[in-house]
Amino acid sequence: MDTLHAHLEALFDDLELVIGWETGYEPLRPTPAFLRSREDLSRLVWNPLCAPNLSVYLPGILKDAKETGKKIGVCLKGCDSRSLGALVQEGFVERERLYVVGLPCPGTVDPEALAEARKSSAPVTHVSFRDGLLAITSRDGTEEIELERVLARRCRRCRHPNPLHADVILGDPVPPRRTEPSFSDVDAVEAMSLEERRAYWEEELSRCLRCYACRNACPLCVCRDRCLAESRTPKWTTQRDGVRDKFLFHMIHALHLAGRCTECGECERVCPVGIPVALFKEKMARIALELWDYQAGTDPAATPPLQTFDPSETGI
Amino acid sequence: MSEKNERQLRIVGFLCNWCSYGGADTAGVCRFKQPPLLRIIRIPCTGRMDPLFVVKALAQGADGVLVSGCHPKDCHYAVGNFYARRRLELVKRFLPFVGLDPRRFHYTWVSASEGQRWQEVVTEFSAVIQELGPNPGIGADTPMETAGQAASAFA
Amino acid sequence: MEQAFFLADAELQEALAGLSAQADVWVPASDARKPGLVRFRRFQPGLTVRLDARSLVSAKEVLFPRSETLLRFTKEKDLSVPAGHRIHLDDARTVRPVVVFGCRPCDARGFLTFDPVFTKGPYRDPYYSERREKTTFVSLVCRDADAACFCSAVGSGPADPEGSDAQLIPVDGGYVLRPVTERGAALLEPIGRTAAPEQIREAQDVLDQVGRETVGEGSLTTLAEAFRARFQDPAFWHAHIDKCLSCGLCTFVCPTCYCFTITDEARGLNGERIRSWDACMFPHFTLEASGHNPRPSKVERYRNRVGHKFSYFPARYGQVACCGCGRCVRHCPVSVDIRAVVRDLPAQEEAHA
Repeated sequence: MDTLHAHLEALFDDLELVIGWETGYEPLRPTPAFLRSREDLSRLVWNPLCAPNLSVYLPGILKDAKETGKKIGVCLKGCDSRSLGALVQEGFVERERLYVVGLPCPGTVDPEALAEARKSSAPVTHVSFRDGLLAITSRDGTEEIELERVLARRCRRCRHPNPLHADVILGDPVPPRRTEPSFSDVDAVEAMSLEERRAYWEEELSRCLRCYACRNACPLCVCRDRCLAESRTPKWTTQRDGVRDKFLFHMIHALHLAGRCTECGECERVCPVGIPVALFKEKMARIALELWDYQAGTDPAATPPLQTFDPSETGI
Repeated sequence: MSEKNERQLRIVGFLCNWCSYGGADTAGVCRFKQPPLLRIIRIPCTGRMDPLFVVKALAQGADGVLVSGCHPKDCHYAVGNFYARRRLELVKRFLPFVGLDPRRFHYTWVSASEGQRWQEVVTEFSAVIQELGPNPGIGADTPMETAGQAASAFA
Repeated sequence: MEQAFFLADAELQEALAGLSAQADVWVPASDARKPGLVRFRRFQPGLTVRLDARSLVSAKEVLFPRSETLLRFTKEKDLSVPAGHRIHLDDARTVRPVVVFGCRPCDARGFLTFDPVFTKGPYRDPYYSERREKTTFVSLVCRDADAACFCSAVGSGPADPEGSDAQLIPVDGGYVLRPVTERGAALLEPIGRTAAPEQIREAQDVLDQVGRETVGEGSLTTLAEAFRARFQDPAFWHAHIDKCLSCGLCTFVCPTCYCFTITDEARGLNGERIRSWDACMFPHFTLEASGHNPRPSKVERYRNRVGHKFSYFPARYGQVACCGCGRCVRHCPVSVDIRAVVRDLPAQEEAHA
């Protein structure tokens, strides 16, 4: 934490701004921060509650940034850095205009699991993290909760806690929870019969509000204001409230991320009704891995598999 | 009259303009008998195929989707079907995950001269769809949609 | 408290079943698959009613559904008319009485923003108005405000009876039901037995205690002018809104956001005209046919959300269009805090320049 402040402090003259996290309306909710002055840097926080993937802002901020010759600083966790890699691959982000601070990540917190694990429900006044333990202070005192108990689903299957493509890595490397790609949650869905799977998704997707938070939080959803889901010509979805249109929207999202999704899990984190939408993309990632041995965002020089072809491919 | 109320099975066919559409035409000119399930949508090249075409058709209750284009290395646009091949294989593997039967989707390559082969492709795939029966799609039709289908069936 | 009834915890299901005989009863209930997710659902026996939990979406969807059919149309071929077809319209609808049971005071108060827009003035909305006239709100005096709640800052409070027809006051072993309006009294009469004097006393104590609580700091009701002064200060809006993702979550969970779109959804010769939720956070909301968009980015869109709630609406109707429920703050994927934005409106220093 102090290293992070000191490091950015020393560099700040060469940076246009720094994108990081600051404490939100309560300490449990760090919120993305756009720090434009040296004084602002003191607001920066970094702990396992810093869930938002900041690479989502990069294409927009680089497009709007004035040409001052200064770089834009950005703090990225391991999974966030893969998103950056994919954005570089597709030409949405010029890597040389960024100063990437990589933060080895112990995993992020699932707020629902945390609320369940806490004994007190009083407003939180302070949060700190050390040695795998979250210390959460409220008027009822300080509770210590093991991070491992309240980990987000995306973090349980994480292979990249240590950022890729960073200019500097601050903090000790974190041993990955997984060394091989893990698709156990996809397996759990596939263990069901075809009919059960259809019923499962119909039930899950019936809760969808079509608020499009999953889409807008996705760093690889680069169409932004021109999304197919809201287009009337051609008309892919209607404004009806049925499962079919909700399903189609999620298929648009998932299929447009085929061979591109970096498995950061933001879509699932932001879903207000708790639909496991990241599973669609995990399945896609698995297919890309099986067919083309491809993992999005790990190699900035690689071409995404659906933007190229191999005439000698057989079997498909 | 009772047959009229029974929903006929439907296959949506996406055929490339240069090879498979010609192949289907050849089959027709040669008077090769084919099952009547297929409705053809002509596309310029299988490279035009958006995987969403497949998903949307099946989600809305099409009983089968058949995509056919030029044989690999024989694309009118040189490489369109190479791109298509990757996308179509991906969607084929994805369908069962969301509860759509992958057997209802088939992609293949038929050239303009292969009328005989076209007949075989359509006959075999139609048999698969006959065997599978009606596709429930995803999410029930709203009452309006059902009414719409019934009305247009009689129109 | 002149008149009050008592409803024991154990009698809740039975009372709701009784009410359901004459009306559609909507209660906060948890989802079978997601026990933590509480939403308003139509009561049916066996439903897990969760009066203790805050609901994700407000009771808005009861009176203002996410998607509602305004009319149905059918085209009939007829070559005797120049168009070649006739169109038959059908806008028949039945409106059943509705009871919203166990919403929070903020939920009930949210409809006070809808009312002047939909039921008064030159354009009375029949769909909303008819439903509104047949709806009774029974709100629960709220004792579990969290860090996102700010009802007191918009002139309401956790025991606010405004907008409610009756209040549920949690007491030992159940609830005291206190009618606020005549309609509330008529509804309660058959479901509760008259409360004992000590229960009334206990309820009055709860009401007094909760009524004294302040939820949320300061007052956000008098900033219409400050907003206008800030309107053309891009640095201010960027400083607050650069992190916004421009999704529609805040508006969809909001009890007072009432914007909608109307579309015709047709297939074959049949179709329906649908009214569905829209949001000023979406680019299509203001996209013009020419391709020009007067609110081209999230900064203008969010500014409009703040302006509508705290400046334009008060200027027109004399009240802020916010009930302080805190949902937009609590559920925002990046924790944008509208309170902080509104509170900073009058700040003089140019720290953001």
